[in-house]
Amino acid sequence: MGEKNTKEIEERICRRLASILSCPVSKIKSDLPLHTLGVDSLSFVELLVFIEKEFNIKLMESGIDKEDFKTVRSLATCISKIA
Amino acid sequence: MRRYLTGIDWVINTLDYICKKKTGVGNISQIVLELDGKLNEAILRERLVKCISQLPILCGYPARALNLCPYWKIDAKTSPLVLDTHYLDKSSSTREIISYFEDSLNKPFQNKREHLIFNLAFVGEKSYLGMVFDHRLMEARGAEAFLNLLGAEEVSLAALSHPEEPSHLDNWLDKFRAGRKINRIFLRLAKTQARVLPQAKDNAKSKVRLVSFDTQESARIIDGSFKEAGYLMFMPFLLAKCVIKLHRIFEQKEALSKEYFIPVSIDNRAQSLVKQDPFFNHLSFFLFRITPLEAENFQLTLAAIKRQMYEQVSMGLPEAIKEASYLMRIAPVSLVKLLLDLLARGENASFSFSFVGESAYTADYFMQQKVNNIFHLPRVPYPPGIGIFFNQFKGKLNTTLSCFQGILSDPEIEEVIEALKNLP
Repeated sequence: MGEKNTKEIEERICRRLASILSCPVSKIKSDLPLHTLGVDSLSFVELLVFIEKEFNIKLMESGIDKEDFKTVRSLATCISKIA
Repeated sequence: MRRYLTGIDWVINTLDYICKKKTGVGNISQIVLELDGKLNEAILRERLVKCISQLPILCGYPARALNLCPYWKIDAKTSPLVLDTHYLDKSSSTREIISYFEDSLNKPFQNKREHLIFNLAFVGEKSYLGMVFDHRLMEARGAEAFLNLLGAEEVSLAALSHPEEPSHLDNWLDKFRAGRKINRIFLRLAKTQARVLPQAKDNAKSKVRLVSFDTQESARIIDGSFKEAGYLMFMPFLLAKCVIKLHRIFEQKEALSKEYFIPVSIDNRAQSLVKQDPFFNHLSFFLFRITPLEAENFQLTLAAIKRQMYEQVSMGLPEAIKEASYLMRIAPVSLVKLLLDLLARGENASFSFSFVGESAYTADYFMQQKVNNIFHLPRVPYPPGIGIFFNQFKGKLNTTLSCFQGILSDPEIEEVIEALKNLP
């Protein structure tokens, strides 16, 4: 998977997160920790469910690390490797 | 003028009916602002009178339209402002101050148009403003947003005076599908009876106890929760801690091996949306089931909560509850109570829990006085008659234990309070 694909995944996650948090996509900064964007446990779980369905990944079995969840960018990079 | 009530609004109206039948007081709560200065009572009174006169919605009441849809009737009649002022000794402890506000949680509203009561307490150079509110009119974050508006220098209420809500008398197939989904989930959840504490006598009084953490302690607790429960898993962490503590109390009081059933209200509206429409109810619920075996161990409890939270988001339970609840609006609240009993197979919740999260009150000042903190003092619905509630204000975490007299003894209350003080 290339850089272009990672970028596309990042954009899809940003769009979904903006919808979950009811805010404009421009407010979702890919390189900021999720908690600083206003993500809480409920919105985080909503995001996980989206990722599993959208990218057909079983997160529990994917070997995805907690560090991968820190930002949208790190999450997109990780998904691009395993999806 | 009318504002149609949603299905969730109608469920909250039913809770209000049940609370009134059992305790003489409806489903109410109180939000208290701790201010670092003396509030000018005359200006406050003037502003509240203006607010009530400009917002007739505050004095509305439920009615039913010809299309059978319940609505909030809004007319020109208002209810007089209720603002009680009290001077407490400047050496009063937080517990004594909260005790003053606790009194008004046990007083019913005087008529069908009264939904707000204000309490102002002066303690030395500080003042505390409490607003008792009817949950049929607003939920916790709505009340925060409303106070935010009330405390602003330029109060603009025009945008709030005509809040709109469609009748939702369409898409019936979606509503029936959601109803079928909820029924299936309840069938699975209600396999065994829920564990409940022996109930209090009718018309028992509600008691509240508050535990407040400063910003450093709160940051330590949040950080600890991320380490113990996983990144961003603060709410499941707090709930698991409450289950573990209350499990000890349940074990002391009754040894039946039933499961815990905990409905958790959730409101994931963005702050901007709450501020645009602070009225009525926009929440939904998670429904957690914890076995006594799981409740013996923090990690097992936490895993059960996280698993169920994931499953319920995955199957769209919170949305389905909102959608299916529209089907209940046809019935009067007394009948909805029976329907809810039937759906839950006569089960009561073991205890209530909610985590309000970051406050919708965002201003630094309320009428020129610095806001130190915001406390929520809910009168827990009865049944279950016991609940633990968390809120956050500018990095400070607060937790409130709310229960009815006779459900927990004083030493048991102290035991829970001590456990909450020692989070994580």
